[in-house]
Formats: sequence, structure tokens, C-alpha cells
Amino acid sequence: MFVQMAWRNIWRNPRRTTVILIAVVIGVWSMIFLGALMRGMVDGMIKNGISTLTGHIQIHHEGYRKDPVIDNSMLDVDKLDAVLTEVLPEGAKYAKRIRVNTIASNARHSAGLTLVGIEPEKEKGISFIGEGVVEGRLLKPDEKRGIIIGKALLDKFETKIGRKLLIMTQDTQNEIASKSFKIVGVFRAEMEATEKNFVFISLKSAKKLVKLNDGISEVSISLAERGMEGEVAEKLNAQLGSTGLKAETWKELIPMLRAYLEIFDGFMYIWYLVVFTAMGFGIVNTTLMAVFERMREFGLLKALGMKPSWILRGVLTESLFLLVLGAFLGNVLGFIFTYATAQTGIDLSALAAGAEAWGLSRTLIPVVVLKDVFMANFMVVVLGMVVSAYPAVKAARFTPVEAMMMN
Amino acid sequence: MPIDITMAWRNIWRNPRRTLLTVAAIGFASTALVFMLSFQFGVYDTMINSSVNIHAGHLQIQAKGYKEKMAMRYAVADPVRMGNLLNGIDDVKSYTYRAEGFSMLSSSDRTYGVLVTGIDPDKEKQVSTIKSLVRKGEYLSSSNAYEALVGSLLAANLKVGIGDEITILGQAKDGSVAASVVTVKGIFTSGIDEFDRSTVQIPLKTFQEVYSMDGAVHRVVVVCKSLKSVSMVKAALAEDISGIDEKYELKVFDWMEIMPGLLQSIQMDLISGFIMYIILVIVVAFSILNTFLMAVFERTREFGVLMAIGAEPGRIMKLLLIESITMTSIGIFLGMALGSVFSLYFQKHGIDFTGASEIMNQMGISGLMYPKLTLLSLFTGPMAVLFITSVAALYPALKVKSLRPVEAISYN
Amino acid sequence: MMKVCCLSHNSIFRKNINFRFAKEISIKAGSIPILLVSVALLLSVFTLPAFAVEGQEIVERAFNYMRGDASISKLEMTVHRPDWERTMALKVWTKGEEESIFVITAPAKDKGNGTLKKHKDMWIFNPKVNRVIKLPPSMMSQSWQGSDFSNNDLSKTDSLKLDYIHTIEGEEVHDGKKVYLIKSMPKPGAPVIWGMQKLKIREDGIILEPAYFDEDFEGVKKLSMSEIEILGGKLYPRVWKMEKLDEEDEYTMLIYKSLEFKKSLPSNYFTLSNLRNPRR
Repeated sequence: MFVQMAWRNIWRNPRRTTVILIAVVIGVWSMIFLGALMRGMVDGMIKNGISTLTGHIQIHHEGYRKDPVIDNSMLDVDKLDAVLTEVLPEGAKYAKRIRVNTIASNARHSAGLTLVGIEPEKEKGISFIGEGVVEGRLLKPDEKRGIIIGKALLDKFETKIGRKLLIMTQDTQNEIASKSFKIVGVFRAEMEATEKNFVFISLKSAKKLVKLNDGISEVSISLAERGMEGEVAEKLNAQLGSTGLKAETWKELIPMLRAYLEIFDGFMYIWYLVVFTAMGFGIVNTTLMAVFERMREFGLLKALGMKPSWILRGVLTESLFLLVLGAFLGNVLGFIFTYATAQTGIDLSALAAGAEAWGLSRTLIPVVVLKDVFMANFMVVVLGMVVSAYPAVKAARFTPVEAMMMN
Repeated sequence: MPIDITMAWRNIWRNPRRTLLTVAAIGFASTALVFMLSFQFGVYDTMINSSVNIHAGHLQIQAKGYKEKMAMRYAVADPVRMGNLLNGIDDVKSYTYRAEGFSMLSSSDRTYGVLVTGIDPDKEKQVSTIKSLVRKGEYLSSSNAYEALVGSLLAANLKVGIGDEITILGQAKDGSVAASVVTVKGIFTSGIDEFDRSTVQIPLKTFQEVYSMDGAVHRVVVVCKSLKSVSMVKAALAEDISGIDEKYELKVFDWMEIMPGLLQSIQMDLISGFIMYIILVIVVAFSILNTFLMAVFERTREFGVLMAIGAEPGRIMKLLLIESITMTSIGIFLGMALGSVFSLYFQKHGIDFTGASEIMNQMGISGLMYPKLTLLSLFTGPMAVLFITSVAALYPALKVKSLRPVEAISYN
Repeated sequence: MMKVCCLSHNSIFRKNINFRFAKEISIKAGSIPILLVSVALLLSVFTLPAFAVEGQEIVERAFNYMRGDASISKLEMTVHRPDWERTMALKVWTKGEEESIFVITAPAKDKGNGTLKKHKDMWIFNPKVNRVIKLPPSMMSQSWQGSDFSNNDLSKTDSLKLDYIHTIEGEEVHDGKKVYLIKSMPKPGAPVIWGMQKLKIREDGIILEPAYFDEDFEGVKKLSMSEIEILGGKLYPRVWKMEKLDEEDEYTMLIYKSLEFKKSLPSNYFTLSNLRNPRR
């Protein structure tokens, strides 16, 4: 009964209802879509941070982070393997690396950069390099002379695949080690700085270059999903105990990201509230209009013995319809927009330097977070009901006489 | 005309509740926009100022070619003359001289190639925040002591602490060997790894002695009284130095030329901000569109009567527009007032970002953010609201044109 | 708007402040002549086509001619730039190709600065701070004393001999003497940055010009020898000029003031303590 009456009442004035519905739809659409874009941005930043050789967790020699030299390497790899196999949950992957600062040069150019020895097949799903090679080929596990360099470095060095790159570094004996590598592949990364600052060779040839028999500089771990890393790192540290090795999560490795994440939720919800408030005024006003137009009707109903609470309920049900319908359409529209942009992402390359300064990807891909969708709908519907209480109470309070006298 | 305004004013207050709600919606949006834009501008200012303060300055005078090649010989030969010019420009707050040379830095254990910077300790502290970033030890004591401020990461890499000696070995401006031993006087942390890993600062006179600079410097770094005055000072300075006959032509660069990425990231943030604001304004427009529409439909009969007694549709339209613009204007005015009050309050007291402040504090920057109310932030948002609500008001007003008196009177 | 709040203090600067240059190092590679010519001869064990064998032989013969088992020389080095020039005097001791010491003897300001090269490693000494510093790998591609020679050029003197395959490309006549044009291609995997070198070697064994090419075989720099006179008891080029082909009017000129070949020099000439206090 209520439901039917309320539904009919809403459409008594279709134009008015449509207008306020549009306000709600645009509001909800913007919450869902812009929310997804902003989440996408943050998610991109985190993913960038994690896939740019960080991983969810890293294990280093405890002195390495402060002083990243080859002397601070992890030598007991067997023990490390044993601990990792024992502790890591299902779906987790890990890869070993050697990282050294080197000077790379060719006939015309020279630059200081980081040389990373990797286990190529294991990097898939851990860091961008697992799938980042866009030209040429991947490294083979036993690759002796092949090197993979970034597109930006390739351009800066005016070189190409098949050309050589001379790498010079300091080995464990404190002597200068130099070796000529052949560019076999080119990688792209989200950030130009990554492309300029990292070159990759096989772990095997890195060991040989720096004369590190069996040691490694870091282990990067990727879990099946983000969220478990704190717990896993704790377990790892418990097991690693006195070995002088230390596991740290990306939150510790990239503290800026953590800080950003911490205040992001707050900002997001403030924005929701602002948009809601903007449409809230419209909701109240429209409902008030509808109520005042029907004053006589309400008076009559009351005179016929209808309880005020029924009228209250009736008006609130109308608002609820309006809000739910608006929220529903807004969600649908929001998801359509999100889905459409998610196909290709939004290209930010026109503002590349700016995007890079924010740590953003070149393309922005929206990400829908259930929490946000819930929050947006909750806010619109529940707060919408709260503000509709004002006209509803007004309607319930009309005395029959007052109402009949009106107009 | 006056009668129209009186009529419009009366009409507005025929339904005070509705009017108040509409005005409140507009006022709210305007308040929000003024505050958010002021906040954004404030943060940009902080961003620019802190990068300006850590190192870059608002303006730099360099010899032509130095920015690209960083070769020692592209130097400003007579910095004192620059100083005198700068003293004569009103909007210059402070300035300092710096000289730089890529050199080998060694402790007893390690050797690294880094950029050694010579700074004037007294002038530098008026220009950059370096003094406040010293976490261990002290700031440089005099302009000719053989001591150094070392970035914390570099100090860790070199394995040196306060009082330890480091050897500097590089090439002097005249091509000779520049060598010196300096004592670590202070260790600073800026929070910018790149800076903390690659910076060592020694007193300018010491630098000039060691690197045979013959009194020359590489950068004259200028801080202006405000960001606004930068372009003015730049123009004045460019004119002043154009006549100076030095071996290398002198050039003035502003912070945007020194740090192009900073400008781009601000532009990017502005764009994303504007998208959000436009959506907000559209939501508001639809929220209040009903009020305007109702004003027409409720009064269809009234308009019919008015038309029947000879009022032209155009006049009624004008009446309606005056009504909606009056409402909008009141809302905007209130919004601007409230927005300014909020902005000014926080401009004075700052907004604390608890989540981030811990990390920012580690970097030596307070976690407080300050909005900055400017004419631009005050007017941009409200004007957008005015524009879009006017468009919204146009729709019902145009409806009046199609009204026919007879139908209108019988409308119910 | 959301972005500003916390990123403002960090990431912005990371990219913008101009510290990159600390990493970017201009290249100055090539080969320092005194070391180039003091290369010890290794018998080639490679089986190569006849013309390559011939090329190899010519290069080795030239090295044989120009090197000594050990040498003591005095040089004047002039670094020239379009708007700037500087000259200094050097004294150089070499023994084989593994060991050498360079000491600056003038101007007075730089007197006593020295470089010791032993195998791949290099140390430098400065009398003013009275310290010996071992060069880290990151400094190896830096210029040596501001010249167009890099530290690497000094430390990898045997490179031309060990890392390349030499073939004769043609012949020319200079001053009535036959000059072989030799193309030297790096062996696969050799740790060299060049794509090719081209040598001009006179029939009597005097090297007239090595030129350095990138992997597109575009010239990068060129060392040319001239003013062949009797030096150290044999015909020898007195003037060596290293010039960059991309930069106009930038070169480093070395002029021999004296050169003396020795059968040997005592090993204790090439020690850190001798670097601090070289024999005159």
C-alpha cells in the first residue's frame, strides 16, 4: 500500500522528480567514477612503488638499506630459501637479486645507474621487469652477456638492440670489474626515471661480475594479495632471528606511500560529503515543495483519522524511492564510465613530468573499491533519509484545520 | 525597471523557506569552492616555497651555458656587483652566492664522486632551510673555515661522523687540481634522498680558495618577498644585468625554469581539481533547478493574468531572471564571505594532517598546511556557480515564452 | 586536490632539483699515448686469416717499435677549449704496460700531484692534502686532470692490443713512406666502448693516428701524432693531439720534451710511497 502510494506520488510531478533525480544521479555518478579514478591513481602509485623492484616484502642484510654496498650481501642463501619455503603462504612468489651501483658507458655516453642481476623467469608477477620487455627478448636464466635496458636510457645513449654497453663496478675484492654486455631487450616502465636508472642482467652473470660466489643483495617477495604483508614479514623476521637478515614491507620501504594512503580515505569521504551536501539541499527543497503542495491532502487524510506516523512514513518512503532510484542509476552510470575508461585507461602522457613527480603511472586506470561504493551509497541514501526527515515531520505535523485553511 | 526589482524581491520572499534553502545550497557550494581553491593555492605555495627554500630559490643568476654543461668555467665573475644590484630591488627578500664543483670525496674508508657546493653561511641561512635541517653537529661557523655540512645518506655512505675528516679532490676553475681536507661540522637530513645522498656544502671562501675561483661563483640565488613579485624582479634583474660585460653572458632563471616538473605537477593537480569542482557545481545547479522551475509552474496562472493584462513574455522572463540571479547572488555573496572566513582562519592557524605530519616532521617540514586566500581563489569558484546557475535559470525563464494567456489562466 | 596534501613535500623535489648531474658524467675515452706505446708484446695465439695475421703483425710490430720495456719521459700537456687553455708539465715513468706513474712538475700550484697505475687500479696523490686516494669505479670514466683523456684510458692501456682484431684496409704514402691503414674491430665480448678503431701505421712502425668510432662507425675522437724526430734514440712523434670530433676547437695536446728508453726500472718506483715522494 505505502509502497504503491509513494511510487505514484513521486511521479505526480515527473518533471520535478526528474530534475532532482538528475542531481542525485550526477552526484552518485561522480562519487563512483571520480572515486574510482582517485583510487586508481593511488593504486597506481602503490603498484608502481611495489613493482618498481620493491615487492610486498623485501629481505636484506640488516646493514644494506643504510649502506647498500656489495659487502652488505646475504651469503647464506640456503638457509634463506629454507625459511622462505617454510613461512611464505600459498600463492606467494619470491625472486633473488643482486643490486650494485655501476657506471654504464658506450662510445658517446656514460651514466651512473643501478645494475640488477635477476632470475628472469621468477620476476614475473613480482616486478615490472618480468613482463616489461617490449622489444627484443627476455633474459635467459643462464644469460652471460645479455643486458636489458630501459627505453629512456636507450634513447639517451643513442643506442639500440644488438649494441653493447660497458658496465663498470666494484667487486667484492674491492677491485674494478668491467664487462661489456650486449643489449638484447628493451623495457618500458611506468616512470621514466625507472627506465633511466635500472639495467638488468642475469643473476648468474651479476654474481660473476662482482665475484659474489653465492650471495645476493635482496629477496623481493610478492604475496597473492596485498594486505597480508605485515603478518608475513613478522613471521619471516621471527624465523630469520639472529641471521642478521631483515624483512621489511613496502610500507617501511616507501614511507611516503604509507603516509599518502593514511590520509587518502579521509579526503575521499570529505569529498563525498561535499557532493552530498550540494545535492542534500536540493533533496530537502524538492521534498518540501512536494509536501506543501499536498498540504490539503495530508490535512484531509488526518481528518479521516490517519496517524501522523503514517504520513511520516509515507513521505519518507517517497524520499527513499527517489534516493534509491537515483543512487541506482548513478551507480550504473558510474560503473559504465569506470568500465569504459578501464579498457584503455586515461592517458596522462601529455602531463608526463607532472605525473611522474606525483609518482603516477603514464596511464590512469580507475579502480573500484567496494568500501567506497558502499560509502557513497550509504551516504546518499542514509543521509538523504536523514535530511528528508525535516519535510516529512513537517507533513506529519499539519493539523487538519491548518491544512484545509491553506491556499 | 525598479518596479521589476521590487516585484522580484517580493516574489523571492513569498516562499522564504524555499528561498533560504536555495540560497544555502549556492552559499554552501561557493564556500566549499572558495575554501578548497584557497587550500590548493596555499599548498602550491608551500610546495614551491619549500623547494625554493631547500635549494633552488625563486630566481638564479648564472652564466650562460652553466645550466646545461655545469662546467666550472661558466661562472659569475663579480657576485658582489650582483649583490649590489639586488640590494637596489625592493621586492628582493634575500640572496646568496653559491659555487659548485664535481669532486671526489673520500673518508678513510670510502670514496664517492659528488657535487661540492660552496655556500656563504650568513647569507645562505636567509635563503635556504639548510641550517634548520642540520640534525647532528652544527651549522658552518664562518665563511672561511675548513669544515663541511654533509647530507645524512652521504655521511652514512662515507662512514663519517661529526669531527671526522674528509678529503676533497676535484678540478679547480683554472684546470688545476683542487684539493682540501675539511672537518665534518654538521650532518643534515632534508628527507629528499637524492639531496641527502649527493650534497656536501663547505664555506664559500674556502671553496673559492680551494677551487681557484678568484672570487667568482656559479649561482646567485635570490628569494623574493613573495611569489607574486618573482616575475617583476626577474624583469628588473634581466634589465640590470643586460648591460654588464662579463666574460660569459649572464642569465636570470626563475623557479619554473629551474624546476620545470614542479610547474607541471601543479598544473596537473589544478586540472584534476577543476574537474571535481565542475561536477560539484553541476550537482548544485540541478539541486536548485527545481526551485527555479517551481517558481514558474506555481505561478503559471499569475503569469497568465499578467500577460492577459498586457505584460509581454519578455518582461516576465526578465522578472524571473532577476529573481534567480538575486537568489544566486545572495548565496554567492554569503559563500564568499564564509569561505574567506574559513580560509583566513586556517591561513592563520594551519590545518594539521595527522597522518602525514609524522613523516613530514622527519623531513623537517611541519605537517601543517596553510590555505591562501587570493582574489583568484575567492572569485573563480563563485563565478563558476553564478554562470552555471544562470544557465539553469534560463530554462524555466524560456518556458514562459511559450505560455499562452488563456491556457495559463486555466492551468492548475 | 587530494593529491597535494601529502606529496607536496617529497616527490616534487625528488625529480626537480637538479642533482642528476652528479651521476651524469661526460665521456672522455681514448688512450694515453705513452701507455699506448709502452704496451708489452704478447704473442698472438689466434688463428686468423692471412690479411688479419698481417694486420696483427703490423700492429704488434708498431707497438714493439714504439714501446720500451721501461721509459722515463718529460711531457707538456695543453688542454684547449674555445675560450680557455691550460698547460702543465708532466714526468712519466713506465714499466711494461702494467705499471706507470705520472707526476705533475709544473705549474707550481699543481706540482707533486701524481697518479699511480698498477694493473687495473689507479691511485692519485695530492701533496697539499698529503693523501693517497684510490679511484673508485665511478670515477674511472672521468677526465684525467681535465684533459680529453679519461682515467679509463690510462688504466686500460693494453686494450688495443688485447681486445681487437686488426686487418689491413689499404695503404697510403706519407712523406715518401708507406702507411698502412688498419681497421681494428673489437673482439666479441671485449670490455671496450668503441665500435671500431682505425689506425694509421707507418712502415717503420711509427703509429700516426688511432681514430675512435662508435658502433655506427661514426668518428668520436681522434689522436694524431706528428713532428717525427729522433727521440730516445729513435724516430718518434713528438706531438700528440687528441681531439673530439663532435666538439669544435676542443683538444688536448701532448708534446715530448724528453724521452728515454730503459731496459727496466726497479719495481719500487711503482709504489704508493713513491707516488707520495717521487724520485726526480
